Amino acid sequence: MKSLRVVLFVLLAAVPVLAHHGGAEYDAKTIVLTGTIKEFQFTNPHSWIQVDVKDETGKVVEWNVEWGSPNTLTRQGIHPSSFPVGAKGTFKIHPVKTGAPIGSFVGVKFEDGTTVGKFDAPDASQ
Amino acid sequence: MSGIKLAALTIVLVLASGLALGQNGGQNSGQNGALTPFDKLPDWTGTWTMVGDTVFDQATRVGKGNAWTPGVQEHPPYNDVYEKKYEAHIALRDAYKFPDTNNFCGIPVNYPRILNLPDAYEFVVRPDEFYIIAENGENAMRVYTDGRPLPPKEDLWGTYTGVSVGHWEGDMLVFETVGLKGDRDNDAILDRTGAVLSDAAHVTTRVRKIDDKTMQFVVTIEDPKALTKPWVVTKQFRKQKPGLFLYDYGCAENNRNPVDKATGEVLTLDPEGKPVK
Repeated sequence: MKSLRVVLFVLLAAVPVLAHHGGAEYDAKTIVLTGTIKEFQFTNPHSWIQVDVKDETGKVVEWNVEWGSPNTLTRQGIHPSSFPVGAKGTFKIHPVKTGAPIGSFVGVKFEDGTTVGKFDAPDASQ
Repeated sequence: MSGIKLAALTIVLVLASGLALGQNGGQNSGQNGALTPFDKLPDWTGTWTMVGDTVFDQATRVGKGNAWTPGVQEHPPYNDVYEKKYEAHIALRDAYKFPDTNNFCGIPVNYPRILNLPDAYEFVVRPDEFYIIAENGENAMRVYTDGRPLPPKEDLWGTYTGVSVGHWEGDMLVFETVGLKGDRDNDAILDRTGAVLSDAAHVTTRVRKIDDKTMQFVVTIEDPKALTKPWVVTKQFRKQKPGLFLYDYGCAENNRNPVDKATGEVLTLDPEGKPVK
C-alpha cells in the first residue's frame, strides 16, 4: 500500500454498492486515511473525491475515492459544497485490491467533527 | 346555412377531428375501438425507484451481493446453447471483465433491462402512449396504446428497446415488445451477470399499481432461440416522496471506469484521464 497514514481496519464489511458500471474491484475491507480534499467531481456517472494523503515518507499521494451519482446523492442531501477543496478529514474507504490509490467512499469526519456518509455507522461485521 | 358557411363548418370539423386524434395518425381504435380518455387512466404520477438491487431475476438468484459480485447469478430457463453463453459471461464477470460494451457509456439500455436500473423513474400515461423514463442513462421507452398493431416482422431490424404496443385491461396496461436486438452485438445484457436474450425474444408485460406506493411489472419473456419455456420476471417500484427533482445522468460525462478494449479489463482513470496504477 503506497500511503501510510493509512490505518488498516480489516473488517468484513459489506461489499461496496458502487461499481454498477463494472468499476474497480473493491475490497470488502475498510481502511482509514487522513488527507486534504483536492477536488470533488460531482459528475456522472459517479462522483469522485480526490484526496491528497501523505505517505510514511512524506510524499503526497492523490487518492481517487469513488462515490454515488450526483442525482442520487443530492436527494440524500449531498451537494457539490459538501466536500470543499482544502478541507481536511479522516476518510473511511474500501480500497481496490491492487493496492492502487483508489477506493470506494464509506464516510468522512472533517476536522470540525462533522461527518458525511457512513463514517459513524457500526460495521455489520462488528 | 349558406354554401360558404357549410364548407367552413366542414373544414373546422375535419380539423377538430384531426386534433382530437393527436399523433395517432388516425389510428385511434384501441382494444374497444377508442382511446382510453385521460380521466379513465390510472394515476401513475410521481417518482419511483426499483425495489431491490440490479440482479434482474430476484426469484432465481443465488449468491449474496450485487449483480457484479462473484457467485451471484440467476437461473433463466436457458437452452444448452444460451446456458453455455451465460456461464461464459459469469466467468468473465467473476474476473471483472464484462461481456458487454455498456462500460463505454453512450448506448441506451435494452428492454427489459430498462426495468432494472438504479436511480429514479417516471411512468407517464397518456391515452395514446405510455412512457418509461429512467433517470439512469438516461433512457426512455415508448409503448403505443392507440390501437396500432405491431409492425410486420419483415420491417423490424432489432433495436435496444424494440417496438411495443399495448392496451388497457382496467387499471392494468398490457404491452408486447418485439424487434429487440438481443445479443447480436454483445451490448444488450439484462444485468451485470451477463444474462442475455436473443433477437427472437417476444416480451409481454403487465403493469399495474398493486397499492398506492408500489408499481409492478410482470415480464413474460418468450424466446425460442434462447429459452426452453417462458421466463417470468417480476419487477417492482416504490413511490418516492413528492417534490423530488430528477436530473440527467449522462454516463459518458465523466466515466472514469472505461473498459480496456484490448484486455476487457475495467480501468480506473485519474482526473486527467490516465489509468491509475
